[in-house]
Amino acid sequence: MPESRLPNIRVWLLGALVVASLLMIAFGPVFLDRFALNVLSRSMIYAMLAVTVDLLWGYAGVLTFGQAAFFGIGAYATAMVLTHLGSSPELLLLAFVLAILVPLVLGVVVGWLSFGYGTTPLYATVISLVLPIVVTQVAFSGGQWTGSSSGLVGYATLPLSLAGYFRLTGICLLAVAAAAWIFVRSDAGKVLVAIRDNEARCAYLGLNASRIKIALTAVLAGVTGLAGFLFANASGVVAPENTGFVFGTELVIWTALGGRGTILGPVLGTIGIDYLSASLSGQLPFLWKLVVGALFVAMIILLPNGLAGLVGKILPRSKGSRGEGGPLRQAQVMQVPQDVVDKPPLLTIHDLGKSYGSLNVLQGINLTVQPGELVSLVGPNGAGKTTLMRCLSDGTESISGSVSVRGANIAGLAPDAIVALGVGRKFQVASVFDSLTVAECLRMARAARYRPSLVHSSQELDLPSAAVEILKLTALDGMLDRPVSALSHGLKQSLELTMVVALEPQLILLDEPTAGLTKTERMTIGTILKKLTGELGLAAILVEHDLDFVREISSRIVVLHQGQLVLDGTVQDVVNSELVKAIYSGGAHD
Amino acid sequence: MTEATAPVPKLSLIEVCSGYGTVNIIDTLSMTVPQGQIFALMGKNGMGKTTLLKTILGFVAMRSGRIDLDGQSIAGVSPASLIAAGVAYAPQEHALFQDLTIRDNLRLALHTDKELKQGIERVCQHFPFLRERVNQKAGTLSGGEQKMLILGRALMLQPKLLLIDEISEGLQPSVVERIGRVLVEECRANNTTVLMVEQNLDLVLGVANRWAVLKLGRIDDSSEMDTGSRARILAHLKI
Amino acid sequence: MTILLDVITTAAILFVVAAGLLAIFGVLKIINFAHGAWLTVGGYCAVATTGMGLNPWLALPVAFAVGSALGGITEVLVVRPLYRRPLDAILATWGLGIVVGQLITLWFGRDVQFTPNLLSGTINVFGLDYSFYRLFMVLAALVVGLGFAVLLEGTRLGLSARAVIMNETLARALGIDTAKVRLTTFMIGTGLTALAGVLLTPLTSVDPDMGLAWLIGAFMLVMVAGSSFGALAVACLVFGGAQTLVSTFVSPVLGGITVAVLCALVLRISPKGFARA
Repeated sequence: MPESRLPNIRVWLLGALVVASLLMIAFGPVFLDRFALNVLSRSMIYAMLAVTVDLLWGYAGVLTFGQAAFFGIGAYATAMVLTHLGSSPELLLLAFVLAILVPLVLGVVVGWLSFGYGTTPLYATVISLVLPIVVTQVAFSGGQWTGSSSGLVGYATLPLSLAGYFRLTGICLLAVAAAAWIFVRSDAGKVLVAIRDNEARCAYLGLNASRIKIALTAVLAGVTGLAGFLFANASGVVAPENTGFVFGTELVIWTALGGRGTILGPVLGTIGIDYLSASLSGQLPFLWKLVVGALFVAMIILLPNGLAGLVGKILPRSKGSRGEGGPLRQAQVMQVPQDVVDKPPLLTIHDLGKSYGSLNVLQGINLTVQPGELVSLVGPNGAGKTTLMRCLSDGTESISGSVSVRGANIAGLAPDAIVALGVGRKFQVASVFDSLTVAECLRMARAARYRPSLVHSSQELDLPSAAVEILKLTALDGMLDRPVSALSHGLKQSLELTMVVALEPQLILLDEPTAGLTKTERMTIGTILKKLTGELGLAAILVEHDLDFVREISSRIVVLHQGQLVLDGTVQDVVNSELVKAIYSGGAHD
Repeated sequence: MTEATAPVPKLSLIEVCSGYGTVNIIDTLSMTVPQGQIFALMGKNGMGKTTLLKTILGFVAMRSGRIDLDGQSIAGVSPASLIAAGVAYAPQEHALFQDLTIRDNLRLALHTDKELKQGIERVCQHFPFLRERVNQKAGTLSGGEQKMLILGRALMLQPKLLLIDEISEGLQPSVVERIGRVLVEECRANNTTVLMVEQNLDLVLGVANRWAVLKLGRIDDSSEMDTGSRARILAHLKI
Repeated sequence: MTILLDVITTAAILFVVAAGLLAIFGVLKIINFAHGAWLTVGGYCAVATTGMGLNPWLALPVAFAVGSALGGITEVLVVRPLYRRPLDAILATWGLGIVVGQLITLWFGRDVQFTPNLLSGTINVFGLDYSFYRLFMVLAALVVGLGFAVLLEGTRLGLSARAVIMNETLARALGIDTAKVRLTTFMIGTGLTALAGVLLTPLTSVDPDMGLAWLIGAFMLVMVAGSSFGALAVACLVFGGAQTLVSTFVSPVLGGITVAVLCALVLRISPKGFARA
């Protein structure tokens, strides 16, 4: 942890908490009674599950009820090995391995089902609902193998005392929480937040969001299985309700009450609520559940970030950082060599057509773009400009004709694969990551090229010289640690452009980069574009409504009207064209 | 006070700012639409014309400034009450329920079914082709016919103020002419005030009493319709 | 022959149970996870009505009134702030379901309650003795389905609701009070669900968790059906039929997850479900 000038109260608190937990784990059994040890061991196992729910929901934005299923599978795998095969140390090891491996493999399958190409965000939640129901029913119908409705009980477990289990689960929880804490602060952890914020932008930065989410699901399923292994040993009984959908919802409730998107919140929330539930269930069982339920509803509506969110608001924030307790970092900018631009042509569009049902949006488009060209695409609303841009950057769009980038046909390629071919796309509305800082956003643009670290949080920022230059030109270089949400609209547009340039593309597609910008900002963007194409030899295709701007910067103008390319020429050709005048004053019609 | 002598304008905007997110699309814009006139708002794409209409209706929140309807501020008045008070809107995009019948599309413009028959009758007088097709789905109409239905629906309520967004987009000159005629007739007959966002110069020159050119969220130029208007507007619209 | 009747009656029951959820999802695009709780409320309306010595059929209007009143409160307090956060709306309504369930437990206790059968005995159909009540559920499903068809196709409220489903922005631009449409739809949806709860009482026992068992099935069917009652009817017949067949010929336990699994697979292949097919 780098030094900060002011002692940071959050770091101190965290350190104190770790020490306190270690002391608690070591000396808790000395003063806690049997009941408390028993319940807290269970609560700490549940807290591990809450951490996994939090990583998926709070960080990656995937609401899941399915962790209960992986937990149950881990627990059942353990109990089944120990019941049916015996309990030698080797078999305990086998149980341990299976408890992690089976959920992990299933996690890959579930991840693929949930996040494979073409699924909606809600679908992952749907699958996470079905999964625990299926697992529960399998457990019910497993007869002797799973013990049906009464579950499995009476198998030999790890030779540990109550205190031993308390310490073991405590250490495991601390390890899982610490690993999660380090991970969410690492460069790779920021990728999760980026995916949650803006999955489309991730794809257009060359990141395969589906694959990342599948990997996350699988790994967390494994961790959940480990918790299941601990549970099967510590409790000595595994029953269908341990794997059910209702348990899955309880995990989400604990996470929500503790505070999603923080690691500490769900851990403390889970332990607190589960322990209180156990203590109070004797006296006022239904009233307690009622209170938790009501609290949960109120929390979701009024305080979506849970109790931790409330505490986070009260604790003083460290300057310049939004996380809990990271000291101010000055990102250093280093220049890396730019890729050499290929031989022409960069882009070839041959007889491109696109239709929605009987409506032809694009028809017979032929266009070739050479390195160094700045081609402006103009035309009235509904001419098909944005559709054309989409057809160039997403090969999964169904089109007729062909689009080739650097000689490669892009048909069937997902956006991230086209980015890898050297195409960067800037969207009309600034598409950035609102929960990240400027430097983190820019790092995201490099993540597809250089695999981000799972533990390390970079202090440096390696960018190609062109991107560095844009930063300087827009004064963004002095705001690297500023949260993106605090940037003006113009700066967001500039940041997105820098991110696209940081991809080191050879062809940049820009959809109305100047919309809503002030005159000065427009000039800056214009200067940058001219420089990128004129001096560095990149090619750019620009969709733009501001025709003054187009006239100033373009090397070539292409006019699109009613889905057809009606004119392709120099600025002079287009400005003097009667046809273009007619189109823009509303006259032209076939 | 001048208010005692000068007639109260139908609609007036005073230093209005509005937009999305952190952006002001409409930037301290002031304009006045006199009673019973057709006012054409021109300008290139992306200059804030549609946002202006949506701000008047209250769909886009006004950040600052004041909008008066008949001299009364409409701050905080819901879109539904504005429309009930006689403001009609003909949007540009996705303006029809394609899967509903023409009759149901027209019906949705009214609050009760009481005036439905009369309303449909009036719309059919303007656009007779609708008469035989009222039970067909709106999606079966051609592009031009759909635009006429959109205008017809906006006229269902016999509005006092009609806001129209690019009704002529992509239409053949004959259809544009017909729409223009209907607008002029409607204004004469009911003293309707019209604020039309339009890119078709011929239509504007044909029907409007007044025009303004919007640029980057402000009125760049504005005038009564006169002989010099054509050249002046063209100068603003050319590349 | 019995199988065929089982398929049809199972589909009818599923349809009655899911219809309220669909009405809400179709118009509001909100997944009401308190659905199970509204079913339970309906069940206890039956308990309370007969407990007071009234005619058991009276429970139907009582449940509809109670359900829509609670639904109205829910829409205003819980759902309205969450229209822009649909995932949070799932959670908040689920939490509300817990609250309702616990209130019922505090009031009536945890024990299973019994209600008199609305219609008892069997009836002879094509030479088979078949449960009269299950056949009655087919009638109930038809009434609910036709009721919705009339409501949607024939009334102004229905027209407004359809307009909101198809294009909410445009509906607002035409001056339709979308907040009112939403509130009314939510109330009709929850009222109908409570009514379905009464209809379920002869088929299941009444306890504070009775609705939960139906929640996921109904949810999955609605996901597949989108916002169309026709699609829901088809989905109920197809998946309800599959459930009956699996329960009869394979195992009742696996039958219990047939609907959920098949719906999930259909959604994987075609994310829009039956809505477009």
